[in-house]
Amino acid sequence: MQFDNPKTVFTKVLKLGSLLISAIAVIGSLVGFLTAGIAGLLGALVGALIALIFVSLTALSVLIGSNLSLGGFYGVVLGGWLLKVVIFIGTIAIIKQISGLNRVAIFVTLVASVLGSLAVDAFVVTKSKIPVVS
Amino acid sequence: MDVNNIAALTGNLAVIGYGLAAVGPGIGVGLVVSKTIESIARQPELAARLQVTMWLGIAFTEALALIGLATPFIFA
Repeated sequence: MQFDNPKTVFTKVLKLGSLLISAIAVIGSLVGFLTAGIAGLLGALVGALIALIFVSLTALSVLIGSNLSLGGFYGVVLGGWLLKVVIFIGTIAIIKQISGLNRVAIFVTLVASVLGSLAVDAFVVTKSKIPVVS
Repeated sequence: MDVNNIAALTGNLAVIGYGLAAVGPGIGVGLVVSKTIESIARQPELAARLQVTMWLGIAFTEALALIGLATPFIFA
């Protein structure tokens, strides 16, 4: 019987999550283009890109941190999280200044991508077979 | 003293939204991590499994932070 380890779980999560967010980007840009023109299309793409970067960073930080000691692990995961939130606020502040992007399209694709990737995360973790004793 | 204007509030109300969006998930992530550390201290051999479960907890909590932080910016 093939067992998973945290590395295979996070690699699978990153792959499936990227696929799902790409699909949401395609559908979102199509819907955005039909409802708000080019601004909607660009907004949907930007929203999906932000979601992809910020959602993947958490899984990536755990993947990198799992090679370190317990202190290093929490340093990477929590430090990464703090840095990510600060960069996220900065990114949104910059996007707010750019005209020609539909804000509703950004928000809707961002929320859809975040919720979709959560579903992928939960699915992969429940399907994974991690042995109780490592 | 003008009784009709006891408390005046100036500035952007969305700033309070960013603060609230940071406080909730901050407490959530803190709880998830503290309980994981406690569990790993009790049973170190479960570390791999607990780290995956912790990450799922953080992912759900931070989703709330991302949505909460984006909302005041987009709809301000």
